[in-house]
Amino acid sequence: MSLTAIANQGTKVSDPARPQIAFSNVTLDLGGKIILENISLDVNPGEFLCIVGASGCGKTTALRLAAGLYQPTSGAVTFDGKPMLAPRRDIAIVFQDYGKALLPWRTAAGNVSLALEASGVASSSRSARINELLKKVGLPNHAGKYPAEMSGGMQQRLQIARCLAQEPKALLMDEPFGALDAMTRQGLQDEVLSLARASNATVVFVTHDLEEAIYLGDRVIGLLPHPGRIGIELKIDLPRRRDQLTTRENPQFLALRRQLFDFIKASEP
Amino acid sequence: MTRSAWYWRAASLFVAAGFIALWQMIANQRLVSPVFLPGPDRAWAALVHGFASGDLWGKLIGTLEHMAYGWFVASIAGIALGATIGSSRTMRSYVAPSLEFLRPLPVSAIIPVAIAMLGLTQSMALFVIAFGAIWPMLLATIHGFAAVEPRLYEVARSLHMSRLAVILKIALPSASPDILSGMRLSLTVALILSVVCEILAGLDGLGHWVLLSARSFRSADLFAGVILLGAIGYVTALAMSIAEQRLLKWRSSGH
Amino acid sequence: MIPERAKAFVLPVATLVVLELWARATHLQSDSLAPPSAIAVALAEAFQDGSILVATRDTLVSAFAGLLVGGAVGLTLGMALGIFRIFDRLMEVTIEAIRPIPSIALLPIALIALGFGYRMEIVIVAFASVWPLLILSRAAVGAIEPRLLEVSRALRLSPLDRVRKIVIPAALPRIFLAFRLAAGIALIVAVTVEIAINPIGLGAAIMTAQQALRPDLMLAYLVWIGIVGYGLNAGLVVAQRHLFGRAALAGDVA
Repeated sequence: MSLTAIANQGTKVSDPARPQIAFSNVTLDLGGKIILENISLDVNPGEFLCIVGASGCGKTTALRLAAGLYQPTSGAVTFDGKPMLAPRRDIAIVFQDYGKALLPWRTAAGNVSLALEASGVASSSRSARINELLKKVGLPNHAGKYPAEMSGGMQQRLQIARCLAQEPKALLMDEPFGALDAMTRQGLQDEVLSLARASNATVVFVTHDLEEAIYLGDRVIGLLPHPGRIGIELKIDLPRRRDQLTTRENPQFLALRRQLFDFIKASEP
Repeated sequence: MTRSAWYWRAASLFVAAGFIALWQMIANQRLVSPVFLPGPDRAWAALVHGFASGDLWGKLIGTLEHMAYGWFVASIAGIALGATIGSSRTMRSYVAPSLEFLRPLPVSAIIPVAIAMLGLTQSMALFVIAFGAIWPMLLATIHGFAAVEPRLYEVARSLHMSRLAVILKIALPSASPDILSGMRLSLTVALILSVVCEILAGLDGLGHWVLLSARSFRSADLFAGVILLGAIGYVTALAMSIAEQRLLKWRSSGH
Repeated sequence: MIPERAKAFVLPVATLVVLELWARATHLQSDSLAPPSAIAVALAEAFQDGSILVATRDTLVSAFAGLLVGGAVGLTLGMALGIFRIFDRLMEVTIEAIRPIPSIALLPIALIALGFGYRMEIVIVAFASVWPLLILSRAAVGAIEPRLLEVSRALRLSPLDRVRKIVIPAALPRIFLAFRLAAGIALIVAVTVEIAINPIGLGAAIMTAQQALRPDLMLAYLVWIGIVGYGLNAGLVVAQRHLFGRAALAGDVA
């Protein structure tokens, strides 16, 4: 069947030329303060975009706009060409405060199940899917545990599992590893990379850790604070097979790191 | 229970038995007139006799029925109303201050109004008990619903959960510790108001039994009744504890 | 937009206005309800002839006396239980057995032993006041920073000194909170005893008004009881803030 014919049938074929997430001249004014000013950016389908910036530059706010949790004061945020007026079921948000984003009264399986229930998945097929997802995030034997019985890293993985249950086209992650120790963080970085690869989802990843941003991303955008504007955009031309040791010693990596570091330093008041 | 915990419990039981023995001694020595203070032996005898003859049993059921009815009505109404008010910030800002003002009001003060409206009847008692038992439920439920973690509401929005699903799957479980503690308080209030209404309106129940025993100076019967009332309080509190433990086991697990 | 503080008054004011209009429109003739205007008048009259003040005095005297007696017993026992763990564990069953007895169940016992009047009410209020103080002061002692107790041992303070200089000051804010909560309970129990049987105080006054088929006076007493309860609590909150500062109110139950 020709491409035109498929499009006429109404099947979703993502146009490689058209960005999946697009900000067009987005400005956000909250209570008289301009948080973000004139932000325009495109995120292509399947891309891994990282957003960095000094504290208060509005990177979390930008993510929440992409999620549909906020509406821009002017300009437009679109997903697949349609305006983001409200959160979408196929865009999953991974919050930094995982403890608050999980239901403490449900087990790990129950938490993942919440997303499946909301999507209307039949109860008979749920448990297979839940086990599959828990295995994917490395929590195969924890289905019956409550969040309070799990470590921080495990809770964050559980949140990711729940997000994956939404079969998301895009994954929006707000400093997801900020509250975890270095070792756990590194393990989870690699897991997120492989999960993103396997599901072909677009990822927008907000972090204050510059090395993390370069390690993970295809592209890194740095925001300037007060008000938030795009200050720098770096294409990460590192080999796609990222490795915690070799990639981080790669001279390209170090050069990019230097660039970003200088940018942040210069942007701080 | 661990070994040492068991020993301490036994020792504590022993101490309690000691107090009972002391009580018996005081009664035997007639240090306090037996008209006012019967010995534990007489109180126990009155208890047994009361049950054997069926009188006490009837009174016990009477009080339990009053309590149960009021508590039930109050729970349903309290949770429903509390959920409605608690989940809406607008409603809370209009209603909560008035509720705060009414909180310290002795709920027994509604009794004369109820008597004026319904007379010294069973309906008066049921109205008073339900009215009194609603307050702790209502206030606790409002608090529980108001305190739901906002992040969870964002998760719900992201998942496109229906309004009903949000209430049943997120708000209600989140508020359940508060609701259960409200239920506990409701039970206590229901017991107290049952006794007061029985005393006032002469309704069939332990309150009435205890008053009659007092009036005829039958102290052993009086004490038997008081012991039963204490037993009701104890058993209901225990039942609530067990329910809380079962339903809230996710709280205690973990670090 | 209505300012936040004003919102609190919208509901009560609206209710009063609606009740007043409805009562006038229906030419209310009832034994149990009265228009707000009549209630206000009855309240003013009760103040004028001093009857409400006498009743208030009687209730408050019983409540406070009971609170002091019961509170003292509860405080001493609670602190003893908190300080001496052995005592605490031995007394567990006894306390668990006595605590669930509703204070109102003692009413007939107190009645035959002491007859009508202040004493009987004070005894019942005292019994009810023991528990909040016992439980909370026990918890307050248990929550004392263990470091402080180690310091007292290092300084070789005598047990009495330890209690006076460390235990009491450290536990004081929580103990005051316990008294505040117990005061509310004391008032409620006092009024309840009066409504049930005792011919003194505000409870008796409201019952008398009902029996005299004076709904305006009855509801006036109801309103007044509410005001007294609210005022008592509010006054104690102010005192607590004054004595212990805002920090001590953290984790408060209002």
